[in-house]
Amino acid sequence: MKLLAKYNRVNIPITIATLLITGVGFYFIIRYVLVHQIDKDLRIEQQEIIHYINEKKSLPEASNYKDQQIQFQPANDGLFKTTFSTEHRYNSRENEVESFRKLQFLINVNGQNYIAIVKKSEQETEDIIQLILIITFSVIIFLLLILFIANRFLLAKIWQPFNHILEQLKQFNLSSTNKIIPRKTEIKEFKELNEAALLMSEKVSNDYESLKNFTENASHEIQTPLAIIKNKIELLLQSENLDKAEIQSIQILNDAASKLSRLNQSLLLLANIENRQFESTEKVNFSKIINQSIENFEELASIKKISIEKNIAEDVFIKVNDSLAEILASNIILNSIRHNVQDGKIKIGLNEKSMEVSNTGNEPNENTSDFFERFKKGSSSGDSLGLGLAIVKSICNTYGFAVSYFYKDGIHFVKVDFY
Amino acid sequence: MRILIIEDEKSLSESMAAYLSAQDYYCDIAEDYQAAAFKTEYNDYDCILLDITLPGGNGLKILEQLKDDKKSDGVLIISAKNSLDDKIKGLNLGADDYLSKPFHLSELSARIAAIIRRKKFDGNSILQFDCISIDTQQKTVTVENKLVELTKKEYELLLYFVSNKKRIISKEAIAEHLWGNDMAGNFDFIYTHIKNLRKKLMDAADIDFIKSVYGMGYKFTAS
Repeated sequence: MKLLAKYNRVNIPITIATLLITGVGFYFIIRYVLVHQIDKDLRIEQQEIIHYINEKKSLPEASNYKDQQIQFQPANDGLFKTTFSTEHRYNSRENEVESFRKLQFLINVNGQNYIAIVKKSEQETEDIIQLILIITFSVIIFLLLILFIANRFLLAKIWQPFNHILEQLKQFNLSSTNKIIPRKTEIKEFKELNEAALLMSEKVSNDYESLKNFTENASHEIQTPLAIIKNKIELLLQSENLDKAEIQSIQILNDAASKLSRLNQSLLLLANIENRQFESTEKVNFSKIINQSIENFEELASIKKISIEKNIAEDVFIKVNDSLAEILASNIILNSIRHNVQDGKIKIGLNEKSMEVSNTGNEPNENTSDFFERFKKGSSSGDSLGLGLAIVKSICNTYGFAVSYFYKDGIHFVKVDFY
Repeated sequence: MRILIIEDEKSLSESMAAYLSAQDYYCDIAEDYQAAAFKTEYNDYDCILLDITLPGGNGLKILEQLKDDKKSDGVLIISAKNSLDDKIKGLNLGADDYLSKPFHLSELSARIAAIIRRKKFDGNSILQFDCISIDTQQKTVTVENKLVELTKKEYELLLYFVSNKKRIISKEAIAEHLWGNDMAGNFDFIYTHIKNLRKKLMDAADIDFIKSVYGMGYKFTAS
């Protein structure tokens, strides 16, 4: 649910309730005031009647107007008390109930008791109250209308900075260099949100940066001790008087140290690529690089009796660092040999738009969607580290190439789109 | 042959010196910038192994100095930084090759041999081992004066063996030398190459030059 809807869900009933309650309150107050006014008029009438009797010593004439009626009824005793009351009467002529305010009081004319009844119509009062109700409801409807318009047009504008920063946060990406740029706003809450988002993104970026630097530095620092271990193992190997068990131990040490060293170098390369230390503005002849790479691995392929079919356009220039171009080509081609089968096939295609390598191979037994993730290995990778394709992806990301992989009917396809 | 090892890590320079001394190189060691600058100025070396990050100064300055003095010492840069900048800078300043840590001593030895071969090239490009002659210019191999047809990788493998003769070379080192880092750890291909090379040499000279050592590696020897 939108905040606005939630807000309206609270706001509108409260507004309507408030208006209704004030309307009702207003009704009673006005009614009380007006009835009080009528009662005052009735008392004045009473004074006048009493005054008339005192002067003339006779009953005044009864009258029967629409808004005021005076009647006299003979009374048996003098115990009647003055009372105010309201009387409703159905008027068949106008087909409506008319209300009257009635004052009854005892008078004495020449020793004879009478009850005088003075009635005044409340018609005016009702008209006023009706008017008040109409005004109240009009205000409610008008207010709702205004709220609707305000929500629709004004609030959308007020929320703009919020929507802007939300969009920026959604697009925030650690590996890209674009930063969050909030829109200027006078609203305190949004200002705070902008500041917090900015601060957070900077902190995250800095942390990421220092993590990357740490990885790189750590990898560097590991190189020298690794070099010492490997070289000492190699020297140890040269000793004349080693027995078989000792040589086996040395071999295990050597395997582990070598794996560690390859791992470290691959991670260092990844860190270097991600730290954009391979920026390049020159174009390299990718056709040449691929041909060299194929030549380099031809013998490797022939050992497994793999045939390579080349379809390489000449002089395809792409903007990429030449060392990375070599790594890109050799990683993909090597992969197609390594994961191939005996007597398999490899097709390598290159044109201005893309490079495509397809090879025969066993069906991958894992989900292929994360093939380019680090340390993900396919089925028959043996001793591979699972970093080759991660490096390919990292290189592609650096230069804005799109890399994709899929498997169909015994063939693996890897495609790099340059644009 | 004189080699100067400029390296501040003592255990590393000692290993290098131990391996190379057994290859009949005479090894000198400099542990910091000052010692390196002094030794390169007053001595001539066939090859200098130069670590770029040195206590007391940048190793690249030594290269500049050598260039200024018009010295023709071969230089192999050894760096823990796999950074491209250093590599390009170093090669532009006249270094002959670049090797990043960690490396195999057999690889180091092969690289040094290649540098010295190039530097000392005076009309003679023939590398001789027992009855095997390798023409590094023509990239041809003759055994007992018979031409042996080798594939590119078999040739590289033979050259590698000869540069590390009588030493045990691990399969790892061979894989890395032939295919680069990515193929190391995958030895099936190595076996095929070794098998083919051994067969071709045996066909020509009836000597098994390549000895397997407990499945750990190989040793190239005449007897």
